[in-house]
Amino acid sequence: MEISPNEAEESLAAISSMKKRMRNAVANGGAYYFLIIWGVIWFLGFLGSYFLAEKSAGYVWMVLDILGGLGSWGLGLWLSRRVRNASVSATSGRIGLFWLALFAYCALTVWIAWPVDGRQLAMFFVIFAMLGWIAMGFLLSYSLVRLALFVTALAFGSYYLLPNYFYLCMAFLGGGTMIGSGLYIRFKWRQS
Amino acid sequence: MNELNEIIHQPVRLRIMAALTVLKPNEEVDFGYLRRMLDVTDGNLGAHLRKLEEAGYIAVRKVFVERKPRTSVAATDAGRAVFKAHVEALEAILKKGFEHA
Repeated sequence: MEISPNEAEESLAAISSMKKRMRNAVANGGAYYFLIIWGVIWFLGFLGSYFLAEKSAGYVWMVLDILGGLGSWGLGLWLSRRVRNASVSATSGRIGLFWLALFAYCALTVWIAWPVDGRQLAMFFVIFAMLGWIAMGFLLSYSLVRLALFVTALAFGSYYLLPNYFYLCMAFLGGGTMIGSGLYIRFKWRQS
Repeated sequence: MNELNEIIHQPVRLRIMAALTVLKPNEEVDFGYLRRMLDVTDGNLGAHLRKLEEAGYIAVRKVFVERKPRTSVAATDAGRAVFKAHVEALEAILKKGFEHA
């Protein structure tokens, strides 16, 4: 079998492109789905906190968090089927336990700090959630660390500088950043 | 010098092997996921996988989960070695082309 150098170059380019695409897909592990889901939850939840009474907003958050938790669990199961590996399955289970532990510790912190107002409560959850993203970033991709640091800075900035618009900032800038980042990662993955 | 492998050289099969050899030896990829990555039809991918499986370059595993069939695919050691040799042959042709130019 004989081919020209041009054909060889094309074949090597196709191989390189496919390898890059597979590496990206395995490396990001579908993290963009979680970013989009939780971005939408933040967007709706913080909009609820801005427009609704505190008690009603609390119920909205509770429903959204339950839906997000169930959605993330189902998504994690679905994603783990794409590329199967015994050690990865064990890691996925540990990641799930890490998030449960993180939110349990967040709840304990809020309990000790109580009474707190709605904005302070939101900041506790934002800080713990972003700590979780940073941990995921160290494990999966440093781009998640940068995103988490940006959203944390945004939260602190709006908490202290724009207290009256804190919820609105978190809905559009915090939730929007997560949705946008998720879509960007997905787009980049499709392009590579 | 390594020879080009006619089975692997077909464009879809080349991309299949490129994708599978990125995975670790203990990893396997879901059929549907691989199909979406390659942007081919079920039938097309199935035919190419059969060809690679017959040559011993890949292993196809079918299991039933909740009564639904699930197929996963992995490169065999032989497949990885043949693919590596094929890539080296392509690089040698390209290098030779540069030397002649």
